Amino acid sequence: MGILRKSTVSVIALAMAVSIGAGVANAKDKVKVAFIGPLTGGVSAVGVGGRNSAELAVQLRNADPSAKYEYELVTQDSECKPNVGVQAATKVASDKSIIGLVGHYCSAVAMGAVDIYHKFNLPMSVWGAVLPDVTYGNDYKEIHRVNGTMINQNDVAAKFMTDQGYKTWVVLYDTTDYGKGHNKYFTEYLAKNGGEILADFGVSSDQQDFTAELTKAKQLNPDVIFFGGLTPLGVRIRAQMEKLGITAQFQGASGIKSDSFIDGVGELSEGVVSFLEGAPVDKLPGGQYFIEKYKAAGFAESEEAYGPFAFAAMNLILDGIEEVGPNRKKLTKYLGKIQDHDSIVGKISFDDHGQNTVAAITKYVVQDGKWVVWEDSEYATGARKLAGK
Amino acid sequence: MTQSLKDKLVILLLAALGTAFMVTFIAIEEQTEIFALLLVAAALIVAAAKFGVIKAISQCLSRNEKLMNGAVIAAVLVVVFWFREDHFPLLMIATVMMYVIACFGLNMQFGYTGVVNFAGAAFFGIGCYTAAVLGDTSVPLLMVIALGGIAAAIIGSILIIPVLRTRGHYAAVVTIAFGLLFRTFLEVNDTLGGPQGLRVPGMNLFGWDFNSNIEISENIELSFYMNYVILALIMVILAFVLMRRIERSWIGLNFDAVRLDETAAACFGIDIKRWKITAFTLGNFLAGTAGALYAMMLGFIAPSNFAFSDSLILVSIVLLGGMGSLWGTILAAGLVVLLPEKLQAIQEYRFLIYAIVMILILLFRPQGILPRGLRAYIPGWRG
Amino acid sequence: MDVGLLGQFVVNGMMLGMMYALVAVGFTLFFGVLDVIKFSHGDVLMVGTFAGFSTYLGLTAIGIDNAFVQLVGVLVVSIASMALLGAIIARYLVLPLKSAPPLNTLLVTLMLGTVLRESIRLFYPDGSNPKHFPSLLPTDAWSFGSFTLRADSVILLIGGLLVIIGVNVLINRTRLGLAIRAVAQDEETAKCMGINFKMIVLLTFALGSGVAAFAGVMNGLYYNEINFGMGLLLGVIGFSAAIVGGLGNIYGAILGGFLFAGLQTLGAVALPFASAYKDVFAFAVIIALIAWRPTGLIAEKTSERV
Repeated sequence: MGILRKSTVSVIALAMAVSIGAGVANAKDKVKVAFIGPLTGGVSAVGVGGRNSAELAVQLRNADPSAKYEYELVTQDSECKPNVGVQAATKVASDKSIIGLVGHYCSAVAMGAVDIYHKFNLPMSVWGAVLPDVTYGNDYKEIHRVNGTMINQNDVAAKFMTDQGYKTWVVLYDTTDYGKGHNKYFTEYLAKNGGEILADFGVSSDQQDFTAELTKAKQLNPDVIFFGGLTPLGVRIRAQMEKLGITAQFQGASGIKSDSFIDGVGELSEGVVSFLEGAPVDKLPGGQYFIEKYKAAGFAESEEAYGPFAFAAMNLILDGIEEVGPNRKKLTKYLGKIQDHDSIVGKISFDDHGQNTVAAITKYVVQDGKWVVWEDSEYATGARKLAGK
Repeated sequence: MTQSLKDKLVILLLAALGTAFMVTFIAIEEQTEIFALLLVAAALIVAAAKFGVIKAISQCLSRNEKLMNGAVIAAVLVVVFWFREDHFPLLMIATVMMYVIACFGLNMQFGYTGVVNFAGAAFFGIGCYTAAVLGDTSVPLLMVIALGGIAAAIIGSILIIPVLRTRGHYAAVVTIAFGLLFRTFLEVNDTLGGPQGLRVPGMNLFGWDFNSNIEISENIELSFYMNYVILALIMVILAFVLMRRIERSWIGLNFDAVRLDETAAACFGIDIKRWKITAFTLGNFLAGTAGALYAMMLGFIAPSNFAFSDSLILVSIVLLGGMGSLWGTILAAGLVVLLPEKLQAIQEYRFLIYAIVMILILLFRPQGILPRGLRAYIPGWRG
Repeated sequence: MDVGLLGQFVVNGMMLGMMYALVAVGFTLFFGVLDVIKFSHGDVLMVGTFAGFSTYLGLTAIGIDNAFVQLVGVLVVSIASMALLGAIIARYLVLPLKSAPPLNTLLVTLMLGTVLRESIRLFYPDGSNPKHFPSLLPTDAWSFGSFTLRADSVILLIGGLLVIIGVNVLINRTRLGLAIRAVAQDEETAKCMGINFKMIVLLTFALGSGVAAFAGVMNGLYYNEINFGMGLLLGVIGFSAAIVGGLGNIYGAILGGFLFAGLQTLGAVALPFASAYKDVFAFAVIIALIAWRPTGLIAEKTSERV
């Protein structure tokens, strides 16, 4: 921007003069990177967790004496609304001093924004949006994603649940892209595994009362109630199932795998299962490191389920800039070639659509008020049993 | 120095000052600088009001309306030209302009005729969806903008009966219910993209692609948003002229009569229904056209753009600017769209602060920033 | 459809209707005395629920874990604090705008709603996440076939009914109610009769907000989940219910509340298309009803002064 550029130039000139005068030669160049996520609105908890994690990656890099550049993080709020998100994306993409971006938890926003990143050649990695079309719906080489898509998640979920011996499902999903996607892919994979869906109900994403849908579901008497949606609705549905005396097993998509789900439903959370992309963070050596550093940095909010992905994505961008320098096109090329790159969420390898192909899916179950990896739980050993088993 | 020469100098000076302010305001990013600039501007205005300068200026402006209009357009062009290569400022300027058009529409309803409409974002959205649906067909895109307005007007006519039969809060609930209904409908309806939203093809005028940068020569490449800014500016001017002409014609007189006292107006033989329908339909038409262009510029729309809170933002622009005041609407649209954008540093606290500021304004300046003046028998003779 | 299932839908619908009606009563009370719409009503309800929740946490922290004592504590604190908040809002935001256009009042209170909502989200510890509201009522359940009736639902329904009857008695049978009705009918005359106008307005706002707080706690006890956004939709629905029933009339508000709940349940259960359309259906019917009866089902008894 006109004025800004002039003033930046003069500031840099002044800074150079000062540094030369003082004989300090090792001042690092400043490089800007950006983060976009929902910082206000209903899913702001996840957005703020992601932002904190991205900020942590930048902080750690700046504290590292061997880093070549000094990084500055620019954050933008998408409000989980496409129009606001597109504005934020334009702002970031058109600012030529920003080299890379970690962005988007809400798939609808990501879908609107990817065109802009392509137009402005801004390399970016998604940190939370799970709709397959974000990477597979286009051929843009700028777009990458470190987390898995809902395809992988539902593949594993359907297989796992049928293996447990469940036969019939009722599906509730919120009518956002996220919920609808889960409904679609879960239905698809469940059919492959021989499960049967008795009914599905679309619910609006700010609905409070689900008794009408659940009463209908109760009449059908399914083995499992599957919910494709985010934590706030998941909490309400689980609580209202109890009110109506529904004893079916409750299964959620990755959107409910958060500490706030357990806080929200209290003891009813026991035995709820959910599925999340990526190996469990605390199982990885890097994960332990992440959790420690996150705690040490003193953020007020929890990192939530997708914080580690935001951290890994930001680290990947920073690694790239260290390697090829602050240049968007070079960074895009670098990201395109990523194979078996170490990160706290496991090895990252991008396919030709920029999708991380090795995204493992972990199965979780709530045991004594905590999300426990299925294999480590008392449910797997048979000491406790899921509902209806 | 004669009076008229002095007037002209004052207007030119004001235009220059306004241009400088706009350029600085849009360009600076440092939060402290933005706050400082806003404080200085506010202090200047308060001081000017205290010493009667504002009154003098407004008299001077109303004497030279044509010159003032020209000066404002020139100022906007200078600002736009200043940011010719910067995408984001141009996007913001174009967004402000489209909000201005939509709010002109609401102004016709709220400000002129007293018909309440809390579903502004829904009618804006109808325009957006029209553009998305018709964008891929062979309908000329300039026509699509008009069709967006027509679609909004037609769908709005469903509400005519309840709106005509009700008043005040009852009418408010009709439109609020419609706004909620519209959004829920879009979210559960798959054929219009559902909650995922729709892609909208960009504007293309006689082979001129609006979505590619304008290359003038080797070194000069203008942002593609410049296309939209220019088109939006033309539309704002057209809408402004339309609004002014209506306001100052016998139609405007009828509108005022209906707003001020329905019973008395009816006694004088004014057909209240006819004027309410006219204002409601025309207002929705304006909102729809703005929506159609907005969708083409943004390239992507989704139902969450048209929530109740967005309708409220449109209404708060009208109220903040001053009911029925066109210049007020323009100023308020600029503030409401740009301020939250500029104050990104306060991120999570944006809405809180926005709401508090709105409350303070409503408490201490309920008539809006630039209240609409009394109707002048001959424009320019107010002083 | 079997009888048990039908019964279940009826109980669900009544529960919803009771909550909507309690919110709508507030709207109608405020409109009665001041001819204003206080749109922050839903958010006051939400703040009241959070106040109750904090009380519960406080009581648990100091070692009181008798559910009945906790319930009383939650109700008292929640209702009292919201009554106070309601009076403060009336005193500093609504009364100063008395002579301004009604639209201004509507917008001021809408903005106040945003302030309340955002404040809880930002300043309440971990406020952006849903909270688990404790079950303080007995949870025994009786099952008759596919019909499950829980003791807490019954208690809540009776409680809601008692509050509505109480408000009705207060308005129609007491001196305070007489004063409220007088102010609602004609402010000037009421003043001449020695009624302290300002005091009555403040008391009415306190009453309406207290009822909202009760509805909020009821909501928390029923759903066992509270969040910062719960008041927004409840507010809009309560407002629509009050309007459809007819503003300024308590019976209208109750009728509107149950009507809206009935429409939603009907939309989800009996209509051939997806249950996600139930709100589209409910709001469409509301618009049609207003077109049919422009001043509500139980019309306001006013003659227009010209």
